[in-house]
Order: sequence, then C-alpha cells, then structure tokens
Amino acid sequence: MNKHSTEPALMSLTAVAKAIADKKFSSREVTQSCLNRIAEWQPRLNAFMAIEAESALAAAAAADADLAEGKSRGPLHGVPVAHKDMYYDTGKVVTCGSKIRKDFVATTTSTALQRLKDAGTVRSGSLQMVEFAYGPTGHNVHYGAVRNPWNVDHITGGSSSGSGSAVAARLTFAALGSDTGGSIRMPAHFCGVTGLKTTVGRVSRAGAMPLSQSLDTVGPLAQTVEDCALLTWLMAGADLEDLTASTRPVPDYMAATKGSLKGLKIGVPTAFYVDDLDAEVARVLDETIATLEREGAAIVKVELPDQRQLTAACQLVLATEAAAFHKRWLIERPQDYGAQVLMRLQNGLAIPAVSYLEAMRWRGPALAAYLAAVAGTDAVLAPVAPMPAPTIAESDVGNSIDAEAVIQRITKFTRPINYLGLPSLSIPTGFTGAGLPVGMQLIGRAFDEAMLVRIGAAFQRATDYHQRVPKLS
Amino acid sequence: MTKPGPKEVSAITATAGVPVDSEAAARIANSIGPAFDGFAAVAGTLPLDIEPASYLLVQTAEVSK
Repeated sequence: MNKHSTEPALMSLTAVAKAIADKKFSSREVTQSCLNRIAEWQPRLNAFMAIEAESALAAAAAADADLAEGKSRGPLHGVPVAHKDMYYDTGKVVTCGSKIRKDFVATTTSTALQRLKDAGTVRSGSLQMVEFAYGPTGHNVHYGAVRNPWNVDHITGGSSSGSGSAVAARLTFAALGSDTGGSIRMPAHFCGVTGLKTTVGRVSRAGAMPLSQSLDTVGPLAQTVEDCALLTWLMAGADLEDLTASTRPVPDYMAATKGSLKGLKIGVPTAFYVDDLDAEVARVLDETIATLEREGAAIVKVELPDQRQLTAACQLVLATEAAAFHKRWLIERPQDYGAQVLMRLQNGLAIPAVSYLEAMRWRGPALAAYLAAVAGTDAVLAPVAPMPAPTIAESDVGNSIDAEAVIQRITKFTRPINYLGLPSLSIPTGFTGAGLPVGMQLIGRAFDEAMLVRIGAAFQRATDYHQRVPKLS
Repeated sequence: MTKPGPKEVSAITATAGVPVDSEAAARIANSIGPAFDGFAAVAGTLPLDIEPASYLLVQTAEVSK
C-alpha cells in the first residue's frame, strides 16, 4: 500500500478529484485528511487565515451524498481547497491580510472562485497573505509572517504567502493566488510548488481585491502543472462582471499538458535574468536547461531589450494605481496600515500623472520589442528570483530607508513580465544544498498558457521536484 | 525625466491631498528614485500616436511564434 492510499492529502488535485469520482475515497475522508495536516502544520506555518473544519466536513458529506445519487457537480466534485484571503465569497469575512478589512464581509462572490465552486470544490478555510497583496516576502505585521514548510525560519515569498505555504505542506490541493508583481511565482519558487501567472485578461478579476488594474492577474498554485492547467481552464474566459476579461476562446489546457518538448525552442536570456544569481540558483538553471534539452527541446540564446526599464515602468504603474485605490484609507486610516505597506502606498502619491501615463503608453512598444527579441522561440526560461528563500529575519526590512531596494531586488525577475502582461509558469526545478526549493519561470506569449503547461508538464514527467513533500520537524 | 526629491515629494503629496512629513518625504524620494532613473531613457521619447490602449493591439496581434 503506498502512502497516497493512506493519506489522500498528499495526492495532487487532479489525482484526488479522480479518486473521489471513482469512489476510492469519499470527499469526507479527503477533507478530514487535509484537516488533520492543517492541525499538525498550522501552528508552525501560520498559513491559514481561517480554518473552517465543521462547515468543510458538512460540505464534503453533502458532496458524498450527491455522488451516491449519481450527481457530480463538476471535475472537482468534493475536493477541499482554500484560497488567498482576497477573493470575495458572499457572507464570508475577507480580510485581504489587513487590519482595515478584518471584519469586511463580502456581499458578492468572485467570478474565479464561483467557477471553482461550480466545478465542485469544498471550502476548507482562507489563506494568509501579505497586507493588501502589496509585498513579496510574506511578512504581515497584523497576522504574523507565514513560514516556509521547508524551513520555518525562511520566508514563503508573497504576496500569496499562505497559498505557497499551504500547497507545499499539502494542507490544500490548490489555492488561488494573485500576481501583480510576482505574487504567485515568488511563493511558488520559494516553497517548491507550481504557480501560473496568467495573461492579463485571461481570468476575470471580478470580486478579487484590486491592487493595480493594469497589472493584476488571477491564477492558481498547486502541486503539478496538470493541476494548474485544470484550474485555469475552469476559471478562464469572458465575464460580464469584468469586461477586461478576454472573450478569446479558452484552449484545452489539459490536452496541452500531454505534449512533448520535441521540436520546441526555448529561449534563455543572455543578460539580466542570468546576472548576479546566487550560485545555487545558477546551478539549478543549468540543470533545468540540461533536462529540457534531454527531453527534446532546443535551447537558444535570446537577447532581450533592457529589462531594467521594464522593471522601472512596472514600479511607476503599480505604485500609482495602488495609491489611487487606497487614497481614501490613506487619508482616513493611515494608522491602520503596516509601516511597510503604508510607505509603499505613499510612494505612489509622489509619481506625477504624466510619468504614470508615459509608463502606460510605453507598454505596447515595449511588448512589441520583447516579442521581436523572442521571435522563433516557444517560451523563455528564466529564474523567478536571484536567490532561494531568504530568512524571515534578514528580509524583515519594514519601512526602512532601504526597504524598497530590498523588495526590488527580490522581484527584479518577475516585474518585467507583469508590465508586459504575459503569462508565466513557475515550476519547481531543484533544491539548494540546505534543502530550500528553487523554481524557474517559463514565460510565454500573451494568451499562450497552453504552451507553458505543455513545457512544464513535460518537465515534471522527467523530474520529481514537484512531488517532494516537506517533513514536519 | 527628473526624479522628485524630498521637497518635490512634499509638494506633490500635499497637492494629491495626502500630505506626508519630511521624514516620509525623504523615504519616498529614496524609494521611487530608481524607478525614475530606470525609466529616464524612455521618458519624453514616445511618439504622439501611442496611447495606453495601443498595448492591447500588440497583445492580441498574434499568439503563435
């Protein structure tokens, strides 16, 4: 008997969904398995904002009763999940990781969340996050830092800190995150899970807490690429509640995961993304390239336009839009923000409108230049961050004079992609000698998530990094 | 493009209706300065006929390689 048959929480999302559909496990057994792990791990990780054991078990029992009568709600029937605490869910408190919204009760349900509910998921609680999703480390002065299950002295990355931590520790089969400057890819990299930042407009943002209307994207974190493909397929598509959501047809991402790497060209940048890397990240990059080549992909060098300009433009856009969203509370309740988030929101107040609009106007030409540089390739491979997870202590920079510089260094490889609005898949690709995960991102063309999941799934068929599970010490 | 110093930050934030003290103004100037430096080569160079929505035309132009 393998371990999966005794502890269903360790299975992948797609595997457990099939196991429930095939009645190998009941939803209640699966949910209880997750709740058992949550009870063990939560005191160490602080990954959950709220644990809803009783209602989860009741919902699971109802799912089992439906299935006994031959009724399935969808491809995720009876699968327990928890999401970043910024997705509105009618009647539920949605804190957004903040003191300001600690008692905010949603009166709508986000489209992405509703589509996963319609597919049959069961809610097990809500997940911790950085205050208002504005920070890349996972610190939160109101609710405490979320901890990395591979080493609890290290950060998870943010802002989807609870999502990364909970998926890595197998407390939930998947979790919604959001990615405005790297907030899905960063925790995926630091925690050793798979995360898909979708193309701007691929998944509706209706009912998701806003940070930057030009950059915000909704996407999943899960154990495998296949899991992320299914979740994205379920969530993507047009939405009358968010007219910026694309009406472009949604491809069959699950089918795309079956493809091989033969005949594909993957670009590796000659500069910026390979500069100033931690030695272990550089090693993992080389090993990832070797694996992709061994599986049939051709690796080609690509010379990208100056990515530092993209990072700068991203900061101008993000800071300005975030400040505009928060202006009322910056006037009325500045004392209720954490010091770092307050500082970063205030940054946006000082950016002139013309500078913001120049950064917005340059987005098209910048994307055209990037696409020209990667012409002939199917995707670009790059590290998610220059380093593995720093410690919680060393990255606790608060609102110090150097805080923004520290934050910019952590996010330097993710922000250009947000500015360009492109999809990017973060996959676990190795470990450091100290046992910390290292991930790489595959960057695609707009709306070409199918190519990314094809490459990512092929990589995961050839490796086992995504299957490794941290041990409770 | 000239990056705002603490004095300019004080003036802009006050104009925005959210004034900050001198310490915060210095911190903000230090935080956003690199973004202005990084964008300096682009600022003031864009041709007339580009608007933010031009991005969507490029984004949706062609998915395949």
